[in-house]
Amino acid sequence: MNTTPSIPHPARQIGRILRRFGTLIGFFAIVLFFWSQRPDTFMTVRNWLNITQQISILGVVAFTMTVVMVMGDYDLSVGAMASLGGIAAALLFQQEMPVLTGIAVALLIGVAGGLLNGVLVSLVGITPFVATLGMLTVFSGVAFFISEGETIFGRAIPEQFSDFARGGIPLGTIGEQAVLLPNLTIVALLVLLAVWVLLEQTTFGRRLYAIGGNKEAARLGGVRLRLLRLIAFAVTGVGAAVAGLMLVSRLASANPTQGDGLMLDAIAAVFLGMTMSEEGEPHVLGTLVGVLILGVLRNGLTQLAIDSYVQQILTGAIIILAVTLSRLIRRAS
Amino acid sequence: MMSSTNTPLFEVLGATKEFGATLALEDASLTLRAGEVHALMGENGAGKSTLIKVMAGVTHADAVAYRMDGRPVHIGGAADAFRLGLRFIHQELNIVPQLSVAENMHMGQRYPRRLGMFVHWGELYRRSQQVLDTLGVGYISPRAIIARLSAGDQMLAKIASAFMPDAGDASRPARVYVLDEPTAALTGEEAERLFGVIQALTAQGCAVLYVSHRMDEIFRIAQRVTVMRDGRVVSESLIADTTPDVLIHDMTGRTLETLYPPRQSAISPEPLLSVEGLVTTKIRAVSFTLARGEIMGVAGLSASGRTELLRALMGADRKLSGRVALRGKVVNWISPRRSWDRGLAYVPEERRSQGLVLSRSIEDNAVLPHLDAFSRGRVFVNRRRERRETESLALATRLKARHPSQVVRELSGGNQQKVVFARALAGRPDVLLLDEPTRGIDVSAKHDIYQLIRQKSADGCGVLLVSSDLPELIGLCDRILVMRAGRAHAVVSAANLTQADLLRLCYGEKIS
Repeated sequence: MNTTPSIPHPARQIGRILRRFGTLIGFFAIVLFFWSQRPDTFMTVRNWLNITQQISILGVVAFTMTVVMVMGDYDLSVGAMASLGGIAAALLFQQEMPVLTGIAVALLIGVAGGLLNGVLVSLVGITPFVATLGMLTVFSGVAFFISEGETIFGRAIPEQFSDFARGGIPLGTIGEQAVLLPNLTIVALLVLLAVWVLLEQTTFGRRLYAIGGNKEAARLGGVRLRLLRLIAFAVTGVGAAVAGLMLVSRLASANPTQGDGLMLDAIAAVFLGMTMSEEGEPHVLGTLVGVLILGVLRNGLTQLAIDSYVQQILTGAIIILAVTLSRLIRRAS
Repeated sequence: MMSSTNTPLFEVLGATKEFGATLALEDASLTLRAGEVHALMGENGAGKSTLIKVMAGVTHADAVAYRMDGRPVHIGGAADAFRLGLRFIHQELNIVPQLSVAENMHMGQRYPRRLGMFVHWGELYRRSQQVLDTLGVGYISPRAIIARLSAGDQMLAKIASAFMPDAGDASRPARVYVLDEPTAALTGEEAERLFGVIQALTAQGCAVLYVSHRMDEIFRIAQRVTVMRDGRVVSESLIADTTPDVLIHDMTGRTLETLYPPRQSAISPEPLLSVEGLVTTKIRAVSFTLARGEIMGVAGLSASGRTELLRALMGADRKLSGRVALRGKVVNWISPRRSWDRGLAYVPEERRSQGLVLSRSIEDNAVLPHLDAFSRGRVFVNRRRERRETESLALATRLKARHPSQVVRELSGGNQQKVVFARALAGRPDVLLLDEPTRGIDVSAKHDIYQLIRQKSADGCGVLLVSSDLPELIGLCDRILVMRAGRAHAVVSAANLTQADLLRLCYGEKIS
């Protein structure tokens, strides 16, 4: 019956490799390109540690975004949530509250905002696109309202907090200077590990993938759809708040829009990662490759002194190219 | 219906097709006669679909010849097949759900127009109605949105579209209809209507090629039957000269003692599941008791509430009132999660949309309802235990797959159904709720599933089996609950029950 024409073995093997690792190969191609263009500055330990720090904040948002995207949902409010979480913590710092209080409140706001998204999506039944788009506006409005539109910076941000982003674990020395594994990179790695364990090693993650594959079959198969969706949105909310805190620490300032740009990049990273999965499912390691591609492009193009607007155009074009290629390869095989 | 014009209308001669190293078709020939329903049988993978695709001009055979009215003709593509008057109706309907019946019937054709550019809606509906009337299904409104029709009426509307006179060209009327498992998704009632249409077709001198796994249908409507196995035609005979046993032997190459394994264990008197006055939005005051080891069939026409009864017991639909007791204990909160945990297992009606996560592996699907049981501390998945369980289930269900990690989408229909079945068995259930567990799968797979059902019943499982295959109900069940209009119409013993009696019960009559 369903006899598909059998392709000779090696060709099929190559097709399979291209399907799974094409995006990774693309990433290495980009790296090689920048290496050849800037042999002295690009392929250095210092630059790579720098890249990991640059992408750490996007990484945290994208890794946790993967959790809802595994279910076939989206969260468009993560950028606004990052802004809101950051500004809320900064306002508390301004009131000379302890650093830990500020962090705790920001994380709580992340959980609450995520749960609110979850309630709208899973209990009320609004599509994630509309629900989280609405909440994006709400979070953004709240961020402006509580900060009165002001940027909080300077002495308002405790040194203890902003030093965190500058610090790191010493790895050794190159020449005169100490080389640090940045704290922000460590945070991103911890979040990556946590999300990987959650999605790939727990029953929770297994059920999320089932929901993403077939909601009705998952429900009839005993998956508590509503509860799980709720929790997944909360995870994404916390991730956004963590990213917001990282931003405040890195910039030593907070304003009500500073996290807004994270949302589109995070979704783009997850999509890039999805091109690496045979069934088109999001996987957090795929997302990592997506984040690396975006980070390396930004770093490399900046080193080539390409205008930042042109960088945007190139980045967008490369994302579309990657997804198109993966689709074409899939169709061909 | 043996027409006097019993001459060959369309012939496929010596079709051979190689896919890589496998011969999908080997010198397969088929002769369709005017006014005749010709059944094509064979297990999944026997080459039926390939042969049909070759006829349709979709797949190019390595060698083949065709004759129409005794004269050689050429089919190089789908357009040639259409021009010759061949029409194909597949299992999965190509409909546009949001459009009306009339628009779906005119798919691929020119709409009637006004002033050369505006659709002449009145004319469109009138033409469609005319065709529907000719086929005796005039109750289907051409204006209805096709998605709102039942699966059966959608099928009938689609068949009717094959009758649309091609705009302004009456020289290519449809002459040969190929129906590929048309009743797989139909209820008994809807199938009856389809048979009426098929009769109308042959009365007009058309030839019908009818692919089905269902023996009772073949013996009712076909005059001739061809059996394929491993890409070859193994037998062609007049229905009058053959029996189901012979056909099963031809299809499988072995003799199945009986398709329905006989009961070998006694039913315990202990009530396992008792239901009193169960009400949902779809069923009204249903009461019955299922004993340990008992197989109870659930029969009924479409929308009789048979599927909904299982859904209510599983918690897929909300229970409004009534009392459900399991192992003597009343259960109050019913949800799919709780039902699985309580030892109920469910094989839903539609394996693809309700039973399986096609994008995931066999093992992921098999353990999904029982993840906690196979986990470390209910939190972390335990792949070793999952793998071991899946392998033993695959063995028990005779699942054919490369590896437990193979994605379910890649499996054949019969093997997909076995995964749904394996999933139900994984939790060592007490009650099996089975909705059409053998729909659209071949004889060998059916036989495997029947044996599993028997075996579980011998282990003390209670089984509720919903089916529109009446021989299956009679052959396998101890008692049969007949649903009608959401109510339990009758409960009868399956011993000595005839198909005719069961059908009469389904239509609301009482038998003594």
